[in-house]
Formats: sequence, structure tokens, C-alpha cells
Amino acid sequence: MSPLELVDDRFDKLAQELRAAQPVAPVALRERVRALEPKAPRRRLAIDLQLRRLVPAVAIGALAVAVGSAAVIGIVHGSSGHSTALHASKPTVLHQRSLGTEKSSFPAYRAVTSDGLKPAPDRLQQYDASLRVRVHDQEELSKRTQDALRLARRLGGYTVWANYSTPTESGASLLQFQIPIGRVQAAIAAFSGYGTLISQRIRLKDLQRQADDLAARIHRLRVEIASLERTGNDPVRLQRDRARLSQLLHARASTIKRAQMASVALAIVVGKKKAAVPPSRFDRTIDDAGSVLVRELEILVYALVVAGPLLLLGLMGAAAARGARRRSDRRLLERA
Amino acid sequence: MTRLRRISAVKPGAQEFAEVAERHLDDVHAFLVYLTGDRSVAEELTAETFARACERWRRYDPRRGSARTWLCQLARSTALDHFRAEDRRRRREERYAVGVPEAQEPVFGEELSPALERALSRLSAAEREVLALRVVLDLDSESAGRVLGISTTACSTRLSRALQKLEQEVSAGVAA
Repeated sequence: MSPLELVDDRFDKLAQELRAAQPVAPVALRERVRALEPKAPRRRLAIDLQLRRLVPAVAIGALAVAVGSAAVIGIVHGSSGHSTALHASKPTVLHQRSLGTEKSSFPAYRAVTSDGLKPAPDRLQQYDASLRVRVHDQEELSKRTQDALRLARRLGGYTVWANYSTPTESGASLLQFQIPIGRVQAAIAAFSGYGTLISQRIRLKDLQRQADDLAARIHRLRVEIASLERTGNDPVRLQRDRARLSQLLHARASTIKRAQMASVALAIVVGKKKAAVPPSRFDRTIDDAGSVLVRELEILVYALVVAGPLLLLGLMGAAAARGARRRSDRRLLERA
Repeated sequence: MTRLRRISAVKPGAQEFAEVAERHLDDVHAFLVYLTGDRSVAEELTAETFARACERWRRYDPRRGSARTWLCQLARSTALDHFRAEDRRRRREERYAVGVPEAQEPVFGEELSPALERALSRLSAAEREVLALRVVLDLDSESAGRVLGISTTACSTRLSRALQKLEQEVSAGVAA
């Protein structure tokens, strides 16, 4: 069907005449065109840079880079987080060690007790400690309570008071011990290994100065009493000094006794919830990668919000320029 | 590998270009004759068009249209560049052409009647180009619209008006 049939049949004759008289290219022009040869294709892989292919290619590339970088960052952070997780889980692992290996099995704890708050052997010190450990169930609570009582006795100490209760699924055992100060470290190390250490408090107070002061006062008082006994001038004062000496001796004995025995409060509770399990490396990788992707999405949205109006203006400008060029071409062809 | 094969399949080489140039040379030349209304200019522009086509031959994608349509697009672009350059030159020299000079020898075809020849010369380039594409080269409205950068409807409308005007000019020429 001729295109003219779509317009009007009355132009058929006109069209036939126009077609019949179609200009033919002269021989010289034909020879010029025949002499043309397209450039040889480059050896390297030709990349078609047409916009309609370039835009999706760039979009896919950017998406791949975004996902790839998120994955790499996730993997790297997941790996580096591994050591942190191990460090965080150290106390849990350590607290499950047995009592028999307490000296060598609690490096983290020993750093606190032995190096930091170790009682000085050449000084009189008051040592108070309180620990709170969590065990899994009531059975373990009972066992650990008995262990603590036995250990206190074995170390030469004694139980001041004990409160053991298991109302429902929970339960607690509150124990107060007096442990010889020379063995308190072993006791604390053992108690902290009974379960997960929840809290720990150690208080150290120096009593040496107080004891020395008492000793000096006792010495002075004894000298004074000896002098009064020799002269026999002031029996009232002598009697008062003897009473005072008795009080000072009692205070000194009490101070020395406080420095000999450490007070240790142990609370063993049944844990209502399990200790938080550190996330696996896969979970950390997924989390980190997801965080990076979300961050990238935020940046993309931010960029769109910022650059969107400019992009829109640019597109509108390009469309206007294209329309203006078409109108210009149209006017040019109308004049020609 | 499949992608490379596909590219090589749609990217013709030198031999194909020579065949396409030989096949469509007359069409492109005729289109430019109608567009410019000047044979010598049309010849120069035809040579320029094929030179451009030769340079861009690797970018030609047969899936987006026939080679004839692509060549006509290039020819039109080349002609528009020529018109712009001429326009600027005329402005510089301050001597605008007053209408199209009467043709002393046939421009649009040796076998055309003098009345039709004169009528064609009185049409604008915009009117002649749509006649060339739709009537002389017998392109469908979609291809012609693609060359002209307009819709098929606009192309048909423009063709109808051009034919009407041509008929009027022919009738006026015969009456005179």
C-alpha cells in the first residue's frame, strides 16, 4: 500500500510523476562515495558508549560496587569483631574452670587480686570482698553453696552466716565468710569460678598505722603505770591507767584479728536468662554489610535530595534546548 | 562470548558499507536534492553524508532502523548544518536571498514537467523533505517521522499539506 493512499488518492498521479523523475546521483559522486572506506575496527573490545546502554551499565556497576563494598566491609569487620567477641566471652569461659586449677586458670582474675588488690603480707590490712555469681539452675546453686562452705572450712575460715532459698525456679544463696587473709585470694578465685561473675567488689583498708599507734600508746601507758607503781603516789590515776591499758590491749587485739581474717560475702543466684551469646561471624558480617548498605542508601537518598532539583533543571534545560533546536531547524527549513 | 557474537552480527564491515552506499546513494542524493533545491549543493552534501556515515558505520545498529532511514537522518543533519552555515554566512555578508531563484535547468528531475519543477522550487525545504521521504523514497510514515524527528501523525499532516500546496502551485503555474 502506497503511503499516499493514507492521505488522498487524488495525489497519485502527482506522486507517480515525482517518483518517475527521481534524481539520480551522477557518476562522479558515485565514484567519490565508492572511494570511502570505513575505519578498521580497533583491536581492543569495542565498547558502545551509547547513552541508553551506558546508563544501565553504570547503574549496574554502581550497584555492584555498593553491594561489593558492603560485603567486603562486612567480612572485614566481622573478622575483626571476632577477637573482641572472644575477649568479651573470656570471663564466661574462665568462670567454668575447676577449683583445682585456680592458680593458673584465672589470669584475668588474678590480675585484679594478685597484682592490684593483693593484701600486703608485711602490713596489717582489713580485707572485705563481695562477689555475685550466677549459676544455671537450682541444682548447681545447691552444689556451689556446699562447695563454698566446704572451701571456707578447708581454707581455715568459717561461715559467719548463710541464707539459702529456692522459692520457685529462681533461687539465691547468700553467704558470709571469714577467711584467713593469706588465703583469701584462693577463696575469691574459687568463688568466682562457681558461675558467671556478675559483680565483684573488694575493699582494702590499711590497719598498720592504727595498730602502731595503739602499740605506742600501750607502751607509754605501761611506762606510766610502772612509774606510778614505783612511787605509789596516785592510786586513782594508776587504777584509771590500768583500765585504759586494758582497753587499748583489747583494741589492739581486735585490730590484729581484723587484719588476720578477711570478710568475704558471696551471693550465688540462679540465672533467669541465659547469658548473651556472642553473634557468630556470619551474623556479624550480615549485620555489618546491612549497615553499610543502609548507609549507602542514606547517602544515595541524600544525594538525590540535593542533586535531584539540579538534575531536574538540567533535564528540563536539555529538553528545552532540544525543542528550541527543533524549532530553529524548522524555521531554517521554512526559509530555505 | 554470546554477546560478542551478537555485536559482530549487527556490526557490518567495510563490504557491507559499500553495498549499503551503492544501494542507497540515489535515495540519499534525491532526498538532498529535494531538501536543498540545488543539485550541486546536494552532491556535496551527499558526499559529506556518506563520509560521515563511513566514519560512524560501526555505530550503526540495524535493530534501530533500516540503513536507508539512518542515512536519511545523517543527510538531514548534514543539510541542516549546511543551512545554518549558509544562514550565518548570509547574515555576515548582509545579503539575504530573496526567495529561491527560478531554476534555469531541471533540479528535481529531468523528466519532470516544468510546472511541477517550478512548483517544487516554490515549496519550502520543510515541505520538500517530507515529499521526498514519503513520495519519492516511499518511506513509511514511521521511518519518515524518525528521520524528521516528528510523530507519524505529524508526518502525515505535513505530507498532506505539502501535497496540497504542491497541487495548488502546479495549478497556479499552469493557469499562468
